[in-house]
Amino acid sequence: MTVKELIENMGLKPLSQFDDREITGVFVSDMLSDVMAGAQSGNLWVTVQTHKSIVPAANLVDVSAIIISSGKEVPRETIELATKHNIAILWSELPTFELVGKLYSLGLATG
Amino acid sequence: MSECQHQWEMTNIRFGFVVFEKCSHCNGIRTFFSASGHPMVGDEYVEGEHTWRCMENAQSLQFDLQCKQCGQLEKFDDVMGFLYCTECLDDCKVAILQKKYAEKKTWVIVAFGFLPRRKDTELSPRRLKILEDYFNQRRDTSRSTIAVLSFDLIDDFSRCKGEFIHDVGMLSLEPPKERKPLF
Repeated sequence: MTVKELIENMGLKPLSQFDDREITGVFVSDMLSDVMAGAQSGNLWVTVQTHKSIVPAANLVDVSAIIISSGKEVPRETIELATKHNIAILWSELPTFELVGKLYSLGLATG
Repeated sequence: MSECQHQWEMTNIRFGFVVFEKCSHCNGIRTFFSASGHPMVGDEYVEGEHTWRCMENAQSLQFDLQCKQCGQLEKFDDVMGFLYCTECLDDCKVAILQKKYAEKKTWVIVAFGFLPRRKDTELSPRRLKILEDYFNQRRDTSRSTIAVLSFDLIDDFSRCKGEFIHDVGMLSLEPPKERKPLF
């Protein structure tokens, strides 16, 4: 599944501009250090963190998209930086638990 | 010399805190990694000519890299963390390189050793290359690549507004309105 297919399937709101790519799995954490240690290239990263530092962390580990859950407001500077780095930021009103359940039901898993 | 085309993976991951201390006499800053499960707290303390006070506990990690093919282990316990250049200073060597590399979709990350800077805290070009290889080997390099530079290229940390890839403010009960600079 690609990021754009996921957006259509789940009704996620894309906030940044990005080129589509394949999703390899899902990683859920609100800690940058966790992401650096555990996320794999192409993973979706689900978090409630919205500060712009999520973008360099996502870029460093090469995630396919950041999904901001629980309807957290994302600062403009975070979105602009993500667009500059060609990183997808997707937004959902769903709480993290429900969001991850839906991702799992689509066949996405850790990896 | 090894013939192995190393394929690096992260190993010996230790989570903990990077502790930032400031001396109230000389305004010097020093940092160290604490593998404790708890942040460093406490009053000022005197050590020689310095009076140190804890400024920040940033949740972070330490790691080593090991080649999946030949088993060679490279320790990186002298790396404090990584900083993303925000191109805040036009005359900064890192910002100049970032602008140059960005044309090739290469993003600059600055590897930091612990402070204060000394000859023995410098990260050698060989080890910076290993870090760079690790981050590039695990990514789709047809989209973009990573260049890892040394913190020695930053002349004055007090003017740098780069973004540390650290977890700051995670211990607060209130969400921070803004991440304060670490220096």
